[in-house]
Amino acid sequence: MTVRRIEGELPVAFRYTPGVGNTAFFEALRDRGTFLGSRCADCGVTYLPARIFCERCLAGLVPDTECGPDGTVESWTVARQDVDGSPLDPPVTFALVRLDGADTVLLHRLLGTADIGERVRPVLRPERTASILDLEGFEPI
Amino acid sequence: MTGRRVAVVGAGMTRFVRRAQETGKELAFQASRAALDAAEMKLDQVDAVCLTSAPDAFDGVHRKGDYLADGAGGWSKPFIRTYVGGGSGVFTAIQGWYTVASGQADVVLCVAEEKMSSCQPHPQGAFLTIFDNILERPLGPNLLWIFALEMNRYMQRYGLEKRDIAAVAVKNKRNAADHPAALLGQADISVDDVLASEVLAWPVQRLDVSPISDGAVAIIMASEDAARQLTAAPVWIEGVGWNLDSTYWTNRDLAYPEYVENAARMAYEMAGITEPRKQIHVAEPYDPFDYKELHHLEGLLLFDKGKAPEAAAAGVTARDGDLPCCPSGGLLGVGNPIAAAGLMKIAELFWQLRGEAGARQVPGTPERGVAQAWGDLMQVGTVVVMGSDRAGGLRGSDGGSVGGPTQPITMLGPTSLSDAQFRSAAGAVDTPLDVRYAWDPGDAVGAFLDGFRDGRILATTCTSCGRTLVPPRAFCERCFRSTDAWMELAAIGTVETFSICHVTWDMRPLDEPELPAVIRIDGSSNGGFLHKLGEVAPDDVRIGMAVEAVWRPLDDRTGSILDIAYFRPRDPAPDRELVAAAAAEMTP
Repeated sequence: MTVRRIEGELPVAFRYTPGVGNTAFFEALRDRGTFLGSRCADCGVTYLPARIFCERCLAGLVPDTECGPDGTVESWTVARQDVDGSPLDPPVTFALVRLDGADTVLLHRLLGTADIGERVRPVLRPERTASILDLEGFEPI
Repeated sequence: MTGRRVAVVGAGMTRFVRRAQETGKELAFQASRAALDAAEMKLDQVDAVCLTSAPDAFDGVHRKGDYLADGAGGWSKPFIRTYVGGGSGVFTAIQGWYTVASGQADVVLCVAEEKMSSCQPHPQGAFLTIFDNILERPLGPNLLWIFALEMNRYMQRYGLEKRDIAAVAVKNKRNAADHPAALLGQADISVDDVLASEVLAWPVQRLDVSPISDGAVAIIMASEDAARQLTAAPVWIEGVGWNLDSTYWTNRDLAYPEYVENAARMAYEMAGITEPRKQIHVAEPYDPFDYKELHHLEGLLLFDKGKAPEAAAAGVTARDGDLPCCPSGGLLGVGNPIAAAGLMKIAELFWQLRGEAGARQVPGTPERGVAQAWGDLMQVGTVVVMGSDRAGGLRGSDGGSVGGPTQPITMLGPTSLSDAQFRSAAGAVDTPLDVRYAWDPGDAVGAFLDGFRDGRILATTCTSCGRTLVPPRAFCERCFRSTDAWMELAAIGTVETFSICHVTWDMRPLDEPELPAVIRIDGSSNGGFLHKLGEVAPDDVRIGMAVEAVWRPLDDRTGSILDIAYFRPRDPAPDRELVAAAAAEMTP
């Protein structure tokens, strides 16, 4: 059997601008250190980060609902390997945190340990650039 | 009639822009919301959602269907994404039709979204993978090659003038000046402007081409009972058709879109259309390039082969002509967010057939129209025939609006970003897609390339259809049986079509133009394969020119398509040297 090999690539990269909803969220986080969501009164759902539409009824929403800053751990995991299988030392703990007033959760780092149902508060970086990394993570209260 | 009757009861769209601030989900929302608002409906009246968006590689989101579902109203509903490349926008209406016609749903929201501006350095990078990884990618192809090669073949077959083809770009950009969602409307553009624009890949020039765009479109489809409750003026889906030609694209008839004719015949038969030129009053053929509108009008059987260009130049396809084509402004004028552009054509027919198209309204209020799109590896045809109630016999009195007061297109967005705003946007994230591939060419193409090492061109044959196949394959895609035998052909051939390309795939200028061509190896059937020409001045290349392979030095060959450096013109009296040599041998 002849084994032949032709190599190639997909020569693309992406630049994602955050969109209307996320931009409002990130600017509030950067400028005021607050967590901006949006609420659909008809469905009784508060989305965080803010969205410009309700996924349940497609109503237009305005990013005007502040959530948190404290929240509750909904779930957590400890990552001991990186995406390429190499060891993470020290391990990194990730949590799904539901900020007070929000019906959705944020994925972020858990700084320390907190079990499901326990309370956490955000740790903000002093220098912020409108990024999810403006938030260092959540720490136990 | 096939299945239950299905109608379009509402349509909405975003503006088409070069760079939208909105995410893909937000674009999908804006179009969906606009369609619901226009039909005065709530999302809970929708039973199912049909969505389309072109390659995942545009967004770098490898599950773009469900990624977009939230913005398309797909939450907690039966949801399906279909995808046939550029044909997707019209195909999603076909998907919507059979979701309703089958009885599975009474009301369906069909959404088409495209965000091309995230893809860097150029969305063409995502398109490169449509070329064959083994036989074409190593040649450094440019997406424009396919269109240039097809356009040149079309022009040569029928002796067409570029001036007549350019008339389509002029018509559509002028029509788009009346479209509130248009990106490239231009009321004062002339044929001379098109002919003076930058040559990208001859015969394709800058203004022959539709623009890269972001945008979304949505329509609402309903069963007859539901439609009668939702609107006084449903627009009926009278016929649908779709068809694929071979993915051996260099083996296709590049001068005529057989697959569009097949799709049109399928749709016309379902619609009971026997004389399309009399029974179709308005057409929205797919026009990513100006020649494609003409190509497609011929495939739709609305003009004789090769005759659409002179009709376009004579104004027959103008908004006030005998057969208005792309009164919307089409992709050339409104813009080309790929999947969305196709569904825009369905939305335009909805507005035209209801008499709601405002400044774009075709005079006399047409009763029946056809929309068509094209894509995949440029070999899918998708066709939808739509008719107003009057097309079924309920003729309006004065040709005026049949949908109540004329409604402007409802638009919520998007917000357009300038290049500078895009570059400096707060929170922007840059992500490479760092993937590499290694492909095995398989048995048939592997043997073909092994032959190159020895300077041999190998073909397979199918005794059922009698074809000699280059590139060779293990099976005949027409007879759907294994090919029968291998044979060797001389490394000489004929130029089937060619282009003179001045840009790279990411649109940087080339110092020296490249000469991509489809070469038919003498003795093979149905076109040939993609390669380049050399040792010839661009102006001297002709379709039908006899050429021969120029092989790389033996030691440099690797079993690659590049083992042929290029093809060069062959002496028109090719056997002179051979004859002379033979004569010398015979000399005592």
